[in-house]
Amino acid sequence: MSSVCVIKYAGKNKGKLLASENYQQLLESGLKTLTGNSNLTEAVRQYIPSGVVALKVNCLTRNLNSTPVPLTDGLAKILIKTGIDDNNIVIWERTNRELEQAGFDLNASSFGRRCLGTDTNGIGYSADYYTSGEVNSLVSKVMTDLVDFNINLPILKDHSIAGLSACLKNMYGAINNPNKFHDNNCDPFAANISNLEPIKSKNRLAIIDAIRVQYNGGPGYDSRYLGFYNGLIISDDPVAADRIGLEILEHLRKKNNLPTLTQTEREVKYLKSAEQLGLGMASREKIDLKVIAVDDTGHQSEVELL
Amino acid sequence: MNNKFERRSFLKCLGCGTAAMLAPQTGILPEIIGGVQNACAFDYSKELSSVEARYYKKLDGGGIECGLCPRHCRITDMERGYCGVRENRGDVYRTLVYGLPCAINIDPIEKKPLFHFYPGTSAFSLATAGCNVNCKFCQNWDISQSRPEQTNNLVLPPKDIVNIARQRKAPTIAYTYSEPVIFYEYMYDIAKLGQEKSVKSVMITNGYIEERPMSDLLPHLDAIKIDLKSIREDYYKKTVNGELKPVLDRLIQIKKAGVWLELVFLVVPTLNDSDNEFKELAIWIKKYLGVDTPLHYSRFHPQYLLKNLPMTPEITLQNAYDISRAEGLEYVYLGNLPNHKAESTSCPGCGEILIERKGYNISKINLVGNHCQKCKREIPGLF
Repeated sequence: MSSVCVIKYAGKNKGKLLASENYQQLLESGLKTLTGNSNLTEAVRQYIPSGVVALKVNCLTRNLNSTPVPLTDGLAKILIKTGIDDNNIVIWERTNRELEQAGFDLNASSFGRRCLGTDTNGIGYSADYYTSGEVNSLVSKVMTDLVDFNINLPILKDHSIAGLSACLKNMYGAINNPNKFHDNNCDPFAANISNLEPIKSKNRLAIIDAIRVQYNGGPGYDSRYLGFYNGLIISDDPVAADRIGLEILEHLRKKNNLPTLTQTEREVKYLKSAEQLGLGMASREKIDLKVIAVDDTGHQSEVELL
Repeated sequence: MNNKFERRSFLKCLGCGTAAMLAPQTGILPEIIGGVQNACAFDYSKELSSVEARYYKKLDGGGIECGLCPRHCRITDMERGYCGVRENRGDVYRTLVYGLPCAINIDPIEKKPLFHFYPGTSAFSLATAGCNVNCKFCQNWDISQSRPEQTNNLVLPPKDIVNIARQRKAPTIAYTYSEPVIFYEYMYDIAKLGQEKSVKSVMITNGYIEERPMSDLLPHLDAIKIDLKSIREDYYKKTVNGELKPVLDRLIQIKKAGVWLELVFLVVPTLNDSDNEFKELAIWIKKYLGVDTPLHYSRFHPQYLLKNLPMTPEITLQNAYDISRAEGLEYVYLGNLPNHKAESTSCPGCGEILIERKGYNISKINLVGNHCQKCKREIPGLF
């Protein structure tokens, strides 16, 4: 069984983009609920004991619908609270250009929170290829050399080829040749990429931002198909997190009178492949799901997923 | 179409040095970078290009479909095609590598290899990042399997390429190393401009391109070398990640157009080295291209994703040579086998050695114009 916690925001900013304080509150509640541990430090250390931690964001749509800066701020505040040095937090993406365009401040120095693209001088990709199935890729040295752990921070999106873009799809941004692996609805490639050794071993936590969801027309930005779910999905199992994300995505599609992903020939097959590789649970019955709502006072209550 | 090209400054010393080759961030390519001598102070680009790509159509409901190569990638906003160097930006497809080569060098034309095309001359050779297939044996995977952000790119618009070639007294420009199909617009504009300035153009390609872009390009090319990876569809699917049929169609198209054509067949142990395959290959060439089409069998060296296989045994290459000759092919060569007699061109009529090669060097030419000095037989090609 895998555990997934969905935290729905129930405060006054519901239906809007959130501030870092909102994210921090949601994440603290979510981490405690996910671990069953009311001590935040202990809850975080269950996944990130110490060392250098990467936050892999998704900045494909630049400032339109990328991983929000306030989410990384809120999470960083929690990590710092639990003893991680600010300079040991590395927000990263494929390129500096994408990070800047998404609103992040670049910083590759030894002071303050780092934020850098794989194209930063001195970073780049691994010298040797990593292999899983038909995937052969160089992996960002952020993952191979720079950090001890990674927290995956995708946003929940529809994807024109893969169907779903969330945790597994976000790791395409960790390799040098993502464009080679989109055939067959990205199956089994999305699974194989997350199975590449440095990615598999360093991914410790997945946090999907489903506050505002691109439920159709993704992975780019299409304002016609943006809807608020007002939630975060947290798990140490990226496959299970994606599986729940898929349920939310399909719900929003149905609510907006759109056909299912399967009906549009975009069935998300790669989650099953990921389960077969032992990366996590794609079957709903193998996922222990907790759904909570949290308001601005921090009051928490159990609610339904959809 | 936006062809405006923003340059940071002009080349600082066009005349100095022989060549420059840019190593991608992932490492140096010793097989190419060996040519660097007194490298010029070329300008590096920090930006990708955004010239509108050719051969694509907008799709109903958003997105575009690329029509340059047989993949026909369908790409939504802000995504790239399989090649990794063409991006949909607001449903306008853009090439990201126009004017941004990541590899330049001056090579002997024999290195392409083109053996019946002005032997002993040099070719100003260039490539950008990217490729539309993913051959498991790729020699230049550092650049071909990279995105342009991952390579160091020079700022060299077409007119500069033509000028450098003329300055360096290279009669030919070669689009090579990675896969020129994916930098089609850049190649086309250089070739057209070169033609106006009497600089020839040769395309060293996998031939995985659609008919129309090829037919538009052919009038501006002087020769093409195609890497025919196998004569079997299954090999293309498993080892190349492409398709055979479109390549065969392009071969016939090029032959019909009358552009000089040579073929290379890389012999990979256990994968495409059977007698039957050599025979099928020779029969196909004989039927569709003619026995006078040069065929180069090339020796495989283990690298990239096929490090588990040995180098091609010499006897296998000899076998390929013998089978092809027995089927009637007149110009069969063995490559990556220095000092082998099958590096040289012999007259199919009298057996006289017409062009004697040792590696990339020409030690003797026994041609009078296009004819064998001894028996006067006409030899196909451009000499």
